[in-house]
Amino acid sequence: MTVSTDTQFTHLAWHREEKELANVKYMMGADTTGAVAKMFGCYLDDAGLSLRGTYLVSPDGKLMNSLVNFLNMGRNIEELLRMLKANLYLAKKTDEGCPSKWKDDGDQTLKPSAAMVGKVHEALKN
Amino acid sequence: MTECIQVGQQVPDFSLTTFDPKTNDFGSFNLAENGKAGRWSLLFFYPADFTFV
Repeated sequence: MTVSTDTQFTHLAWHREEKELANVKYMMGADTTGAVAKMFGCYLDDAGLSLRGTYLVSPDGKLMNSLVNFLNMGRNIEELLRMLKANLYLAKKTDEGCPSKWKDDGDQTLKPSAAMVGKVHEALKN
Repeated sequence: MTECIQVGQQVPDFSLTTFDPKTNDFGSFNLAENGKAGRWSLLFFYPADFTFV
């Protein structure tokens, strides 16, 4: 869902007016006091606005990922999809790790072990 | 800056009033309820409606 300090009424008006939002189907939350943004740490006290923070919470209520862009930098779906896919994968495969080049299910993961210490380079070549 | 949650920590439960484009109506979101349904929650904060990027 999306969250800003606007009211649900402004969300409706924006969704109706802005054609870029025509395909937006997710809920738009009204955090009018900024309380939720403050909890996540993306609220700017002096501006009364939230930074462009993206937070992933697991079904058991744990914060699993946090990405914060400044006001003037939009988010990119490719960046977010990798983060989402990796978190969903790792929730099922808790003994594995996703290396930097991991992009999707089926890509190589690493299982930390004594034998791999100092040998990540060799492990990644297999 | 008030103290905030770190990655790996439990998120305190919260609710928000929402506009839901699927029903074109107002509604609400509760973090714990969404989690109980086995769903992940992706929260996407932005400065304000009618901003640009």
